[in-house]
Amino acid sequence: MSEVQRKKYSDQEKNNIFDNEFMPHIDSMYNFGYRLTFDEDDAKDLVQDTYLKAYRFINSFEQGTNAKAWLFRILKNSFINDYRKKSKQPAKVDYQDVETYYNSDDVDYGITTDLRVDAVKDMLGDEISNALNSLAVDFRTVIILCDLEGFTYEEMAKILDIPIGTVRSRLHRARNLLKEKLRSYAQNMGYKTDEDEDE
Amino acid sequence: MDNKSAASGERKLTCQDVSKCFQLLESILDGENLPNSKEVMDEKLAKCAPCFEHYHLEQAIREVLKTKCTKQSTPAELIANIREKIQEIK
Repeated sequence: MSEVQRKKYSDQEKNNIFDNEFMPHIDSMYNFGYRLTFDEDDAKDLVQDTYLKAYRFINSFEQGTNAKAWLFRILKNSFINDYRKKSKQPAKVDYQDVETYYNSDDVDYGITTDLRVDAVKDMLGDEISNALNSLAVDFRTVIILCDLEGFTYEEMAKILDIPIGTVRSRLHRARNLLKEKLRSYAQNMGYKTDEDEDE
Repeated sequence: MDNKSAASGERKLTCQDVSKCFQLLESILDGENLPNSKEVMDEKLAKCAPCFEHYHLEQAIREVLKTKCTKQSTPAELIANIREKIQEIK
């Protein structure tokens, strides 16, 4: 995913790469853009901008390597550098704050949530989506990349420009926050939690 | 403890190394290839109630995220717009 120019593709090669390696990821890219911005027009702009940059810098992409991760990295950088600067409503927590406050790899894995497996399985799609969407953008991003898009820790580290240890700890924190959201939904739905049972 | 762990009878009710175990189980669920991961995981799930509970909750969370999260349809005009813009910069 280095941006060092490696190749000098012909126009036909460029078109082949664009059509066969970049365009098949358009749905994932649009959904990523939408989950970052929650706005159809902003997501379209972000994806369009990403594909234009991808074409412009196509010589730094090595054919046959991980196009999806390469494109996701461009979109994430566009979101931070372009969209966030233009946006009148910056997200509650931005990436820079996260680097400062949440990037410790020292995570307490002992914190557990009294959320039950059957309650999670009975959740509606909208409840799962709302819980995910309510997370700060950095936590939302790692869950999208890992659970929705299936990227490995190594790929996520490259997309986000952070060490693998930070990917792991941020994911753990993100899922804990998600579990807390789901636990309140579960309680509202009338599911018993271990907490209720202990009373 | 719920029925699953109580029914197992033989699982420890406390985990001696929660941090290490949970981190390992989460990495396995995330598809990381760790040496002897299958054996280590099977042993933990068979012998430790907190590990068993944690594994199945984490697995359920991943499953609902993967299968139930609402997906947006890509607007039809987006692809055409991208191709048009590419023609302009060629």
